[in-house]
Amino acid sequence: MVIGLGQPDRGDDAVGAAVAARVAPLAGPHVTVLTREDPTALVQSWDGAQIAVLIDAIVSGGEPGAVTVRHAGVDDAPLPTDAFAAAGRGGSHAFGVAGAVELSRTLGTLPRHVAIVGVEAATFDHGPMSSHVVAAIDDAVAIVIAELARALSDVEDVELDEAEAGASSCA
Amino acid sequence: MTHQLKDGGQVLNVGMLARVEGEGGMHIEIRDRQVVDVKLNIFEPPRFYEGFLRGRKYTEPPDITARICGICPVAYQSASTEAMETICGVTTTPEIQDMRRLLYCGEWIESHSLHVFMLHAPDFLGYESVLEMAKDHPDVVKMALRLKKCGNDLMELVGGRAIHPVNVKVGGFYRMPTVTELERLRPALEQGLEDALAAVALVATFDFPEMEQDYTYVSLRHPDWYPLERGTEVVATSGVRFPVAEIPRHVKEFHVEHSNALHAHFDGAPYFVGPLARYTLNFDQLSDRSKEAALRARLGVQCRNPFKSIIVRTVELAYAFEEALRIIDQWQDGHAPSVPVAPVAGEGVGASEAPRGLIWHRYRIDADGVIEDAQIVPPTSQNQASIEADLRLAAEQWVDLDDHSLTHRCEEAIRNYDPCISCATHFLDLRVTRS
Repeated sequence: MVIGLGQPDRGDDAVGAAVAARVAPLAGPHVTVLTREDPTALVQSWDGAQIAVLIDAIVSGGEPGAVTVRHAGVDDAPLPTDAFAAAGRGGSHAFGVAGAVELSRTLGTLPRHVAIVGVEAATFDHGPMSSHVVAAIDDAVAIVIAELARALSDVEDVELDEAEAGASSCA
Repeated sequence: MTHQLKDGGQVLNVGMLARVEGEGGMHIEIRDRQVVDVKLNIFEPPRFYEGFLRGRKYTEPPDITARICGICPVAYQSASTEAMETICGVTTTPEIQDMRRLLYCGEWIESHSLHVFMLHAPDFLGYESVLEMAKDHPDVVKMALRLKKCGNDLMELVGGRAIHPVNVKVGGFYRMPTVTELERLRPALEQGLEDALAAVALVATFDFPEMEQDYTYVSLRHPDWYPLERGTEVVATSGVRFPVAEIPRHVKEFHVEHSNALHAHFDGAPYFVGPLARYTLNFDQLSDRSKEAALRARLGVQCRNPFKSIIVRTVELAYAFEEALRIIDQWQDGHAPSVPVAPVAGEGVGASEAPRGLIWHRYRIDADGVIEDAQIVPPTSQNQASIEADLRLAAEQWVDLDDHSLTHRCEEAIRNYDPCISCATHFLDLRVTRS
């Protein structure tokens, strides 16, 4: 599953939807591609999925357009949820991506593999994306596809191991 | 943060309030066990929406003002469309009104389920946030997410988007949903109604601090139904009632130094808008099922304990589900999505009941439909004086608590209002002098 998160009319926050739109025709028929504006929707949207790649605009102090990946699946370290507790940060009524990931972990809806592909934003004003972020879309698309491939390979390896273990125990 | 003053005084200071929308803090000063100063500090920067609207066309406020808030955009769209239609002398069809009410149900469901479970319930169950609460009460949080999704889905179908809907226009909608599309939502809405009624019973078991306030409640009122998307008049517990058009005569906004949101007085005194006011002034207009749920929750026909606002919100949540199902039951395809609205010079007011309370807009437009003046008065700015009154009473009532507990209790008193600080700071007080 691929989810583009963000408000499409708020500058660089549109990058999630823009990357998701580019990934959709490349990802193959077995990959669901969604866009969401409300982070709380993630908790249910990825329930049942084994793999989720989330694309969102981030502000981490890096160069605008820089693309980073953070893994937040079942076996990965929890995300810091300070942003969740602080007022007005990380989403409307203080519920952001970190809150959604950790709430999903608690409720058991978090996919085994979660990759958060963050694109460093320059502006969240009404209007188009900045040139830095537009120029980063190709990179972000390639990273999303690579993350999907890597996670699929991991899942297949696990399934293969389980099948072999099952076969040997039968014998 | 709490600190002792050299003269023995005590200051409780919370720089940044948690689990509210927007940026605000509070300051309480206590001397000789007496509360001498209380301030709800709203320091989120002004957002100048009223200024943006001047010079724009009369058709633009539903789209522009919806951007003020991601949680209650429909409240802004409803108030602005009603104001413009009133100015232009246009009455829409009953079907357009029904669809506006359905959209508004989506907003109430989305907003109330978010506040009740994600932001407010942790206060009563002793958790810092819903994340910790979810570890011990996963089924409650899953129910909350189901409820919220119902609201999002309604907003997406009727409004075109779950946040900042784009299908609303002066005169109605760009497109009406079909019976088939609406019927797809029915199973989730029916489950949502059951969940919401269970939520009323659940929150009624919480322990509520004893605290009652003699506020002047102010709310919309409609002769046929509980007020959501509109009302025919404004009513107050003081006994005053008047048509919506007269709100500006009764409500005066003013600036205080410690807030970037204008305060407001109703007939010269502080007042209270929101679920408690709506409920107390419109209990008789609730459905039988919602009334029964409220009475079983021991609410009574009026409620003056602000901590019990969580029960009132769940009652309104159940009512919103009932209303959504009622409108879907009677919906038929083929209704015109809008009526034409030609500009007429004049001034007018529109009002609706946002999840947090009465919101009203006043506009003046010229004969070409250009906006000459705009005034937007959201609920949180109107409630600032009541919030400060609650903080004062809470600090006095629980002055013997240790600093941490007292600070937390005061934060809870603010969260009772589900304040939306981003909404409150949209005003413009800017003068340009040219020579």
